[in-house]
Amino acid sequence: MKARALIAGLLLGVAIVSAMAVPGRTRPAPGGASPSAAQARITPASVTYAKSLGSSSAPVRIEVFSDYQCPQCRSFYLNTLRPVIDNYVSTGKVYLIHHDFPLSMHAYSRDAARWATAAAVVGDFETVDQALYANQDKWEANGQIEPVVAAVLSPAEMKKVKSLFTQDAPELDAVVETDYNLGRAKNIDSTPSIFVTAHGETHELPPGGVSYPLMKQYLDYLLEQH
Amino acid sequence: MMAASIPIEGSAPRLGFLPRAFLLLGRLVLGGVFIFAAYAKLHFDGQWHLHDYYFFFAMSIDSYHLLPLWAVELAARVLPWFEMLLGLMLVLGLWLRWAAAVTSALIAVFCFAIVRAYLLHLEISCGCFGNNERLTGWTIVRDGCFLALSLAVTWLAFIAHRRAARRS
Repeated sequence: MKARALIAGLLLGVAIVSAMAVPGRTRPAPGGASPSAAQARITPASVTYAKSLGSSSAPVRIEVFSDYQCPQCRSFYLNTLRPVIDNYVSTGKVYLIHHDFPLSMHAYSRDAARWATAAAVVGDFETVDQALYANQDKWEANGQIEPVVAAVLSPAEMKKVKSLFTQDAPELDAVVETDYNLGRAKNIDSTPSIFVTAHGETHELPPGGVSYPLMKQYLDYLLEQH
Repeated sequence: MMAASIPIEGSAPRLGFLPRAFLLLGRLVLGGVFIFAAYAKLHFDGQWHLHDYYFFFAMSIDSYHLLPLWAVELAARVLPWFEMLLGLMLVLGLWLRWAAAVTSALIAVFCFAIVRAYLLHLEISCGCFGNNERLTGWTIVRDGCFLALSLAVTWLAFIAHRRAARRS
């Protein structure tokens, strides 16, 4: 009996040690990120949530289909969406959802979308989103997106994001593709495309972006109706 | 000989059948186009937007980057109703010369704006018939045809009026 118990104990010990020694995805990644856990989190629904800002119960919802390399998207983000985030999203009045819609004419927009999605999984979407638009002129010429992302994240956060970007590229691509297909289903063919939902009705705003003063007037009108 | 070159008062001939038919058809088409343009700005996404049409149309006008905000707001509020009025005047033949002249001027302004936007590669909505109608080369061709038609209608309307005045 003692010998059996000893053998059983040995086998159990070997099993535990080998499980701990298995390299790759089952081990916690450097910096604390676990790719397997991250992979489990990389689903279109969870990433859409991670790429959204504000309260989901806000009375107005804005969905933006955007391409990080598109100049009009940059202008719309910096001149309209930033003030909207500061004045309406942060006060719980607007729920802002970002959807990637990388256009084929832009060589690096899909890569940028993948970086933003990886950042979203880690919880750094807003920071990276802003950095990608603000520094579009830096990376659009050569596709060097990593330094732009690294400049706004802590080394530990960057490690997590890069780990996801390199190890979970297919999953990230699938999420970006899901966003793209959603846009195609809405007959989108250019960016930025903006949909505003309030009082149960959704309206697409005219293409080409909207200036903040007019967006503000419209949001105030919708909120007044609420 | 004198009568042939200088029409004697009261002897000016009416417009021929074809010019009259063209004038009638032209003003009906133009009037219909303007009424539809107004309708498309007030009714979209399957419902009337009499209270908030202005926001969407203002966004379309603003995307041309031509006018200051106050002018964008004014144009967005007024233009659909003005188009409706012009359309009705053309269809009904009321103050036809002036309605046609103003229509021509308005379409000329539209043509200038869309050609400029096209040359600047602005990927925007034309705003002509609803808010999400993309501006393309076809938009320029179409509005160019409307401008030609409108100028012809204006010219014929003035000639018809002058001849009618001489006869009376």
